[in-house]
Amino acid sequence: MIRIFQEATPEDRRKYYTREWKIENIPDFIRENIHLREFGFDHTGQGPNDRYRFFHDEKLLIKFLRYRAPYAAYSSVALYKRPWRREGWISSELVFDVDAKDLPVRPCKCDNVCEECLDQAKEVVAMIIDTLRDDLDLDDIHIIYSGRGYHIRVLDPLILELGSEVRGQILRYVVGGDVPKLSYVGLDGSIRSLDHFMVDMGYPRVFTERGRYIILHFSGDEKIEDITRQTMKKILESRDLIRSDDWGEFKGVIGPIVYERLMRGVAKLNLQLVDARVTIDLKRILRLPSSLHSKVSMICTHVKNLETFNPLRDAVPGFVKEKS
Amino acid sequence: MMSTIFINPFSQEAKERVKAIGDINRIMEDDPRLFRIIEHTSGQKLDDDSKIPGSLWELSIKRIEWYLKKRGRGKYNPGYYRFLFNPELAEFDVVAFYILAQAIGARFNPNSRETRIFIESEGELVKERLSTMENHLKERISTSILEELLDGETPHWSQLEKLLENRRIKLTELILKNGKVILDKESQQGRNRHIIEALREKIIPYLIIQETEKYINKVHKMAAKIEPHPTLLELADKIREKISQQFFIPKKAGAGTIRASRLDFDAFPPCIKNTMAGVKAGNRNDAIVLLLTGFLSYARLYPAVFKDRKPHKVSDFDPNLDVTLNEILPLIYEAADNCEPPLFQDDPQEKFNITAKLGFGLHETPSLEHEGESKWYTPMSCEKIKIHLPSLCKPDKLCEKIQNPLTYYNRKRWEKKGKGDKDIPRSNTRR
Repeated sequence: MIRIFQEATPEDRRKYYTREWKIENIPDFIRENIHLREFGFDHTGQGPNDRYRFFHDEKLLIKFLRYRAPYAAYSSVALYKRPWRREGWISSELVFDVDAKDLPVRPCKCDNVCEECLDQAKEVVAMIIDTLRDDLDLDDIHIIYSGRGYHIRVLDPLILELGSEVRGQILRYVVGGDVPKLSYVGLDGSIRSLDHFMVDMGYPRVFTERGRYIILHFSGDEKIEDITRQTMKKILESRDLIRSDDWGEFKGVIGPIVYERLMRGVAKLNLQLVDARVTIDLKRILRLPSSLHSKVSMICTHVKNLETFNPLRDAVPGFVKEKS
Repeated sequence: MMSTIFINPFSQEAKERVKAIGDINRIMEDDPRLFRIIEHTSGQKLDDDSKIPGSLWELSIKRIEWYLKKRGRGKYNPGYYRFLFNPELAEFDVVAFYILAQAIGARFNPNSRETRIFIESEGELVKERLSTMENHLKERISTSILEELLDGETPHWSQLEKLLENRRIKLTELILKNGKVILDKESQQGRNRHIIEALREKIIPYLIIQETEKYINKVHKMAAKIEPHPTLLELADKIREKISQQFFIPKKAGAGTIRASRLDFDAFPPCIKNTMAGVKAGNRNDAIVLLLTGFLSYARLYPAVFKDRKPHKVSDFDPNLDVTLNEILPLIYEAADNCEPPLFQDDPQEKFNITAKLGFGLHETPSLEHEGESKWYTPMSCEKIKIHLPSLCKPDKLCEKIQNPLTYYNRKRWEKKGKGDKDIPRSNTRR
């Protein structure tokens, strides 16, 4: 039995960085511009206080990691002309941080992370990536298992120079953060409104998919503004209608007023699928792929194939296996 | 057949027409053809000659005046401006557009109030012209505009980056497929067709706004190298005068208005109180520059901004900047010093950013000569605070009902007043 999710000791860290860690495990999109990124380190488990680090080349980074065996290592999503001062911004990856521990609906109800919520995070990642590719036509997308969830890192040239505002808008689109407002003026001059499930394309479709995901994963403990416990019970009892895509009937059963409140609540929960602060921050540092997440003793891993990736098999360091 | 130049001044046809008839030396001359068109405009009120433009110069001013009157609280009689919606006027109108754009671009900063009002007025004109058009005509013109400005009816979403950045449109309002924005009505059927139609009508005024912004920037850059025509500068001054009249703040505000007064610290929302107490590294910059600067300046000078929605300048309320320099800035700087570590100790350039957020460009301290180099920013909304500064957001009961810290401040002051707290006790004005 593998003892996962336990904190690594300084000895474990040393073992990991001297015996197991290899520079080749850092993805190429970081290796090829190490000299343009800011690095940050946490040596004590108190957070990344050692920032503004700069490595001229891979050799210096290797030496640093082997010698210091940090509690956690990070590198910037941005490239800079002078990374040691975080000056001369060149570009930033677009990042979505899906943390299994912070998912807004968690049927597993575990305290930290477990296999079930890690799987759930994987499902969210797959949905977001589909939207990034199909709706926004973005490419060069990398998935990193962070230790307790996933980072989606987009390097498509289209987004590298975008500002925070547009990144925030992309985030709202891919997670379904706004209830679609669909109205038009009819032939008689009156304003007609449509529900999101009536338009099977673009953003309304994304919102419908995310709504389905959220409602089907409700544990019943979720608090939604203006929705009582009694109403929540009714929603849970009727949610099979959503499974079979009978949204209109579902709306009829719970009533249009409750439905509107529910959709507002769903949009708010959708926004919690990812950590929005990470997406809009152009100067964020993110856990370095290949480094050790010492809090849970797992390797931050570049995921080549999301479908077959199993963190409990592919991101467990040797020292954990030895102990087990 | 109606020409697209009435909606799109950036079409090839519009540019050619302007080249042919837009002689800057003659724009002040009366043109009987212009009068004839106005006279024959259906519904046009003709009882007052002073309200009818006789020259291109006067027509340019009327375009701005229409917008100011329409969005102002004063008397607005649409009958005096019907000619602006008469397609017969298209040729004169497009020349007036370029005269205005050049005058404003040459004289004012691209972020100035004058520029913003002109750009907004253009968007509003296009919107209203489109809404009064017959459907088949609207379709034809919309298609040609999309082709001219976006190279087709299915542009890539990234072509709308500027509109997204300015939040004029939201990505979630668009219908996207493989990166393309679907604006091609013919490819859709049933309900989807109606949705696309509504989207087309919404997006076109914003496309014109986007192009107008680009054009103004170009003119502004050129004006730094080439001396602008004196007539244009004269027109710009006239426009400034018109706008200032509209934005003059009477000393006695009417009943029900939210008046500027000394700051009432007790009425500050929790996020502002937390910011004033000092913020830890990581959140300091956003809290001081984006949240506190906008909050304190608007709370002190123009608390009714969300009610009036007028693009005022700081000097409209504080003509010599006495309040700004002696009351507002010291409070912001004090909060910056309370940060851990003190904000200006390692980020001295943030003083420049604070000045910029007050509308005085990137300078260390605000001065009237730089006003308009940037926009006077309103404080962040509660939604943004929750994302950017979650550690400062400790909502109380009143927070549930509001969406911006400034609204909280006004509501709380109003509640206090209702409870008989007639004036702010001296002890609450400065802590």
